[in-house]
Amino acid sequence: MSSFGFGLMTAAVLAIATVGFTMQFAVTNVLNLAYGSVMINSAFVGYFFNARGMNAWVTLVFGMVTGAVASWALNRFVFTPFQRRNLAPITVVIVALGVDLVGTFGLQAIVGGGYVSFRIAPGQEYHILGMFLSGMQLIILAICAVVLVMIHWLLRYTRLGKAMRATSANPNLARNSGVKTQMVISTTWLISGALCGLAGTIFAMNTGVFEATSAQLYIVMLLAAMFLGGPGEPYGAMFGALTIGLATEISAAYISPQYKEVVAFLVLLGMLTFRPYGIFGSEKTN
Amino acid sequence: MSAYLFYLATIIVYGAVDAMACLALNVEFGFAGISNFGFIIFQSVGAYVAAVLSMPPSATSNGGFQQYILGWHLAWPLPWIGAAIAGGLLALPFVFLVGKRLRGDFAAVGLLVSAVLLNVLVKDYVPLFNGDAGISIVPAPFQSHWNPQGLTYQFIYGGVAVVLTVLIYYIFRRVTESPYGRSLRAMRDNDIVADSLGKSLRRQRTTVLVLGGMVAGLSGAILVGFISLWAPGAWGYAETIVLFAAIILGGAGNHKGAILGAIIVPLGFEEITRFLPPLSNPTLVPALEWVSIGLLIILFLWFRPEGILPERRRILSGALGTAPLEAPVVSGENTDALIKLGNIDELDFRKLLRMGDVHSDHRVILSTEGLTKTFHGVTVVSDVNIEVRQGSVTGLIGPNGAGKSTTLAMLAGTLASSGGTIFYDGRNITDVASHERAQMGLVRTFQLASEFKKLTVLENLVSAIPGQSGDSFFGALRGQRFWGREDHDNIERAMEILGGFGLAHYADTYAGSLSGGQRRLVEIMRAMLAEPRVLLLDEPMAGVHPNLAHKIGDQLTRLAEGGMTILMVEHELSIMDAFCDPVIVLAEGRVLAEGTMAELRSKSEVVEAYLVG
Repeated sequence: MSSFGFGLMTAAVLAIATVGFTMQFAVTNVLNLAYGSVMINSAFVGYFFNARGMNAWVTLVFGMVTGAVASWALNRFVFTPFQRRNLAPITVVIVALGVDLVGTFGLQAIVGGGYVSFRIAPGQEYHILGMFLSGMQLIILAICAVVLVMIHWLLRYTRLGKAMRATSANPNLARNSGVKTQMVISTTWLISGALCGLAGTIFAMNTGVFEATSAQLYIVMLLAAMFLGGPGEPYGAMFGALTIGLATEISAAYISPQYKEVVAFLVLLGMLTFRPYGIFGSEKTN
Repeated sequence: MSAYLFYLATIIVYGAVDAMACLALNVEFGFAGISNFGFIIFQSVGAYVAAVLSMPPSATSNGGFQQYILGWHLAWPLPWIGAAIAGGLLALPFVFLVGKRLRGDFAAVGLLVSAVLLNVLVKDYVPLFNGDAGISIVPAPFQSHWNPQGLTYQFIYGGVAVVLTVLIYYIFRRVTESPYGRSLRAMRDNDIVADSLGKSLRRQRTTVLVLGGMVAGLSGAILVGFISLWAPGAWGYAETIVLFAAIILGGAGNHKGAILGAIIVPLGFEEITRFLPPLSNPTLVPALEWVSIGLLIILFLWFRPEGILPERRRILSGALGTAPLEAPVVSGENTDALIKLGNIDELDFRKLLRMGDVHSDHRVILSTEGLTKTFHGVTVVSDVNIEVRQGSVTGLIGPNGAGKSTTLAMLAGTLASSGGTIFYDGRNITDVASHERAQMGLVRTFQLASEFKKLTVLENLVSAIPGQSGDSFFGALRGQRFWGREDHDNIERAMEILGGFGLAHYADTYAGSLSGGQRRLVEIMRAMLAEPRVLLLDEPMAGVHPNLAHKIGDQLTRLAEGGMTILMVEHELSIMDAFCDPVIVLAEGRVLAEGTMAELRSKSEVVEAYLVG
């Protein structure tokens, strides 16, 4: 049952990250493989303030702002200009890989190769439904739950959310129907970037020790969760993240911790091979 | 002095290994358009297999301090051959990923993830290749006879590596500068269209991945035989990005560019950093190396996406012995109005399109029963029954969203139907793949621009011709002497048609730089050269000047008289009036009516559907 607790933590962080990732894909059709580097950079900004005495939970805000601004700038100054040139979609993905290298190793060049960790009190241990969770973990779970509910509210009940869904379904039609798609895309990158920054910072808190390259393989978990739920589907992302998060931790407990990522890999390859549009999805028209 | 010579020998071996890898990745990425983000695993599998094939059994070697499989203690060149075979075999599981259904970037991500997965597995599962520590003390070829540390040995080793690289360069060139290479580049530029012209994407991609994998495996073998160790740390997925950087910088689609990139990026970077003074921060230099590679990729893709040595434009018309034709320089915006057909009425289509002795017998050649398509639970095409008679020019009209293009796509197999049956020439083809339908003579065109951009106009046309003996891997390997004469004839035929359509001067222009109207013409000509028995045209006249449209219509009528069957989706009613009989009306996914245009005009429900829709 304790592996279930770990799985819940992994899933919660992954859900925040995947929702941001999949929203970026939905409105701009870019697989932003530089997502992990934005996550870890945000975490380090949070850590920078934490190491100087600021309360860890307050630094989450700095992480979110970093993620939002960096992601927005990335889309505005890198991805959009490349997309305007009408290149093959793969070009933008290769550019994203280049950005990932610059982001991750640029950070490493600045902060060095050592491991660091947040100064944060783990808090009292609670025993809930057979799971052992620290106070810190409970706060993280609460934050994730609140953020996911807010995303749900945004997508379902606001004009912006409706415009996002319209842009995602058919950008040309949305533009012709009076949706300011450029605005929507910029806002989406700000919001998804904030999710990315938040996910990066709590990922770093939850992992304990981390360094500049710690999030490099996180992209695999993100991709697995996204493709499981269907690319570009925020609710699918939540479902995918929950499944992948639980599956990796439970398999770590019952098979071997060394192979915990293997489950995510296999899910991703299976999905790409047999159902690239998600368990519930079907191929988009046009 | 000799220290420099040893260094030189090492550089030669590394350079050859990197050049081989870049050549192989370039054939995959630059020519066939497969973004193999997992390329490095092919090289590393080659290295591992060569290592364990040449090493003694795991238990007896070195007191068993390392564990690995096989341990066959084979003599050179068997380990290298084994490595090449292993690299080729490794490609086979990925055939599922690179089949036609999956977007290129999704497949690329799948390959990337496979590379990460394999690295994790090899690292953690020690009995396979000794885990994270890797395999060391790999015997060099002939080390019991010669001293691998000797200068002569190292130079001979480097020489063999260079000779193999040159050999691979020539083999690759033979493959890519052939009708087969043309098909690969067509697939790269637009895979769905290549598929609709009868190219098997899965087969072409598999062949290229196996070929690239074999060369990558061999390069790994050469490397491990020289440095005598191989560990997971040496082949992280990011190493593939280095090779991509090399190809982007050198010039994708150009073999010499790949070699140049290999010398500048993987080799150059490794060597430059070797001469930097040691710094207090040991991660700084490698970190900055990665940053530079990332920046190289971004800056080159922005400022010089074609690379230092761009892909060469193939001047096919040169083969005809005439002077190369330069495209006329046209000033002003609307060049479409200036398009004038050439001597099209004099073209002998029966001969040019190898139509043989078909006689129009007006039997039903293409038909559907209850054809249905649903997207997300919305029915777009519902229970459509149509019959197309041989030798007719059948029209398909209807308001926007009536399901015309969807129906056409299902007939050609571009879209899978959700229900119903399609019969072609008396055969149920509902489950036949689209490229096979094209090979059977059922060829379509597309509503949106679908030219192969980085192929010349003439290459676009010739690539569609079926049954070319040089259009297979082994055909290409047999060389120009095998396929040259036939290709010459094909170019001649294509050139004649091009002249008939008045575009002869554009023969050697990249199709991507033509005007919209010209591209429509190229597409129609290309579909004709695919030698269809039934030609499915999706709004062929959209964007074409009305005068020109009617002249093309006349030619379609001529083709039909010659025995070809044409089914045409079109919005322009005057075209339908002039050329199509019968005309089928679709509305809201259903067949509303069928008959001559005159008959249809008298039916109130047809007029209503058009006015209301």
